[in-house]
Amino acid sequence: MRAPGLALRSLLPFLLGLPALLALQGSLSDFWASVLITAGVNVILAVSLNVVNGFTGQFSIGHAGFMAVGAYTAAKITLAAAGWAPAGLPPRLADGAVFLLALLAGMVTAALAGLLVGMPSLRLRGDYLAIVTLGFNEIIRVIIENTAFLGRATGLSGLPRRTTFAWAWMGVIATVVMARRLLGSTHGRALLAIREDEVAAEAMGVDTTGYKVKAFVVSSAFAGLAGGLLVHLIQLCTPRTFTFVKSIEVVVMVVLGGLGSVTGSAVAAFGLTLALEGLREVQEYRMVAYSLLLIVLMLTRPTGLFGTREAWDWLPRLPWRRRPEEGA
Amino acid sequence: MTEFLQHLVNGLSVGTIYALIALGYTMVYGVLKLINFAHGDVYMVGAFSGYYIAHALGAGDRPTLPKALAVFVGSMVVCGALGAAIERFAYRPLRARPRLTALITAIGVSFLLEYGFQLPSFGLTTQPFPPGPTPRFFPQPFARVSWSLGGVELSNYDVVSFAVAFGFMLLLQLVVYRTRFGRAMRAVSFDAQVAGLMGINVNRVIAGTFVLGSVLASVAALLVAGSRPTINPLMGLMPGLKAFVAAVFGGIGNVPGAMVGGLVLGLAEEYVAGYLLSSYRDAIAFAILIVVLLVRPEGLFGRVRAEKV
Amino acid sequence: MSAAGVAAPAAGGEGGAAPVLEARGVTMRFGGLQALAAFDLRLEPRELVGLIGPNGAGKTTAFNAITGVYAPTGGEVRVGGARVNGERPHQICARGVARTFQNIRLFKELSALDNVRVACHLGARAGWAAALALTGGFLRDEARLTRRAGEFLAVMGLAHRRDEPAKGLPYGEQRRLEIARALATGPKVLCLDEPAAGMNASEKVALMELIRKIRDDFGLAILVIEHDMRLVMGVSERLVVLDHGVTIARGTPEAVRRDPKVIEAYLGDSYLEERHIAVPDDRPGRKS
Repeated sequence: MRAPGLALRSLLPFLLGLPALLALQGSLSDFWASVLITAGVNVILAVSLNVVNGFTGQFSIGHAGFMAVGAYTAAKITLAAAGWAPAGLPPRLADGAVFLLALLAGMVTAALAGLLVGMPSLRLRGDYLAIVTLGFNEIIRVIIENTAFLGRATGLSGLPRRTTFAWAWMGVIATVVMARRLLGSTHGRALLAIREDEVAAEAMGVDTTGYKVKAFVVSSAFAGLAGGLLVHLIQLCTPRTFTFVKSIEVVVMVVLGGLGSVTGSAVAAFGLTLALEGLREVQEYRMVAYSLLLIVLMLTRPTGLFGTREAWDWLPRLPWRRRPEEGA
Repeated sequence: MTEFLQHLVNGLSVGTIYALIALGYTMVYGVLKLINFAHGDVYMVGAFSGYYIAHALGAGDRPTLPKALAVFVGSMVVCGALGAAIERFAYRPLRARPRLTALITAIGVSFLLEYGFQLPSFGLTTQPFPPGPTPRFFPQPFARVSWSLGGVELSNYDVVSFAVAFGFMLLLQLVVYRTRFGRAMRAVSFDAQVAGLMGINVNRVIAGTFVLGSVLASVAALLVAGSRPTINPLMGLMPGLKAFVAAVFGGIGNVPGAMVGGLVLGLAEEYVAGYLLSSYRDAIAFAILIVVLLVRPEGLFGRVRAEKV
Repeated sequence: MSAAGVAAPAAGGEGGAAPVLEARGVTMRFGGLQALAAFDLRLEPRELVGLIGPNGAGKTTAFNAITGVYAPTGGEVRVGGARVNGERPHQICARGVARTFQNIRLFKELSALDNVRVACHLGARAGWAAALALTGGFLRDEARLTRRAGEFLAVMGLAHRRDEPAKGLPYGEQRRLEIARALATGPKVLCLDEPAAGMNASEKVALMELIRKIRDDFGLAILVIEHDMRLVMGVSERLVVLDHGVTIARGTPEAVRRDPKVIEAYLGDSYLEERHIAVPDDRPGRKS
């Protein structure tokens, strides 16, 4: 009795989301599908980075490095499984299973990379941490460029195109659900406490280092998911995709949306992706626009569009919206 | 042995460049507690302003000493002005805000310079500006003369580069430790608020620090562009990051530390790349950074300042 | 009213047992500066001890050494008999030492309730996976923490501020919220660093009464730093007096008050106050 109830509650967003996404998928043109997949990947990146930069108040600018780890893991697995067709299983289902496995494996390796990076470096203060994460991002890139197994600088090509609109946005749902549930839990509050005052959080019994590492690991895992999804859209996995310029792009999305706001970073990531898609004609101006946006934003509205609030905080209080602290 | 000496020469020549750039990071960090992310790009602007001045003077065709000096001074002026402008318009308004706000702005300024210089040209001048993403060739200021001392290659560029770099570092030492401005700078770095109460014009000191750091960056850029003449808008990225590592290694905020850090980093890179893993050259600096921050986060000459509770 | 219900089951009736907190020869040196020299302290269960001394006497340093913010340069700190030197603050907190801060350190953007809920965190049983899967155990755990936090808010008279961000609370309520937060960690020892700083005279008296009530209701040992000697005399059973890092007197308030060394150290402050010479009472933000 209890177990099915739990499963239903736990999986509800996915169970509702999947049919909706599949229904939507059919009506999308190729162009829009690919734009929306890119947007979804960016939403995953921004929301997951927000767990570290927004909730916990640490400042990582090496998200693309973890993305790379996840992407290469997933790519290696789908490449290895190419042509694998077990008897009795429809090929589409087999492909899907392999892809799911590849994505999960990518999340695991990215999480491990996050653990490896986070453990030593999260003792550092804000701006030092920024540089160290950037440094790790570069080290990951240099290692990939020197590893024959990963195709060196040319990377891995000929990946199957597996990322559909539904796949990407199921990933988005997973990321947003993770972030919201974390934020609503005692663990999420401990992260916020670290952001607000690390000394006080520590004095109140929060293992600040441990929590920072955990936040980093979770965040990295979802960066890995984004990486896996992205390379199976562009069917190519090269170190150039994961330079620290990509990391900064994600930082801009998070900052624009508001550090600490899940809906903020999701909206910003979505909006920026669409806007940049529109600017494709004037590719050269794109990064200039990005940097100007960042500077102007910091000078005029450093809290971002949403601050730490969520989109529904502006809605009038509806009777069916229980206050979260009233629990179950 | 010859190989060892050759690496020594190369390492020192890279190291002095890192040291010059690292000084800018360390001084700005000292007074503002801000990692001036755009510093590496000021270095890039130094190279390009030298390039444009040299072309305007026709220094590429008939190099003379006055022209070389004019290029030098002109580029220093441009960079100094740029540094002051960045401080005035991007960082000063944010000084009271959380440090991360300023750091994000610094990243923004850095990207603006990098990608601004890659924009398509207006075509107003003979030399297109902005230069665009394709590399340009810096005109040689004087003819290259190479000597071989027992197998070790050494050119007059190396000698000039050494001499100029050390000259400027010495000069900086004098400025920081022997002048009123230097004393004010050290006071602001120790406690900006109290320094302000003691009648020091903090804004002017901070602006002056940016100018000083930017001038040194342009010197570094010209020394590099003289001997390795390809320049492009992203050229500041890696040297900038590595110089930051050098500054941290020496103890950020510490002027002699940045010089030592730069030299050590240059040598370490050269030797590790030369003897062990040449293709990992770019990762060495970051590996060093991570080790330093873990083992001795205050750096070689830095002091720990515990947070007051 | 329901205070006893949330009281930590600490130090029940074990009279004469080991001290809950003990400092033996604790020394703190910063470079050449000796901020605290051979500091000794024994805190029995349910005892209320005042740590007093003029500005810069090393009171806060003693707190920081006890609660693990700094690792002591010498000597040892024991909590419930176990040596805790070199442990991180959260570990010492888990052992049952909670504290407040002289310069209020609330989680400013979080609501009053969330400030306290963060401190209830030590009692959380559900892990990250349970939180992300939204298990029944996790939801019950959250509800329990929320209830508990609400009770602590009520004890400190802050129930009406539940959903307001901590930064918006009036000064005195912020101080009380800090105490509520410290209580929520379920301590055996509560260390209060100048809880009355910046309050006016009547607020101070009310606060001291509240502190005594907390001690009685929760059965805690309390160590209070206070600048104002007269104030702390009324509530503490014992006093320890620091000056320039050195313990210059200890004993009952009566004995300490007559100690010539204490009078000397305090000359111009509480000494004058006792003779009813006007001393400005309201000086927020001063440091010790």
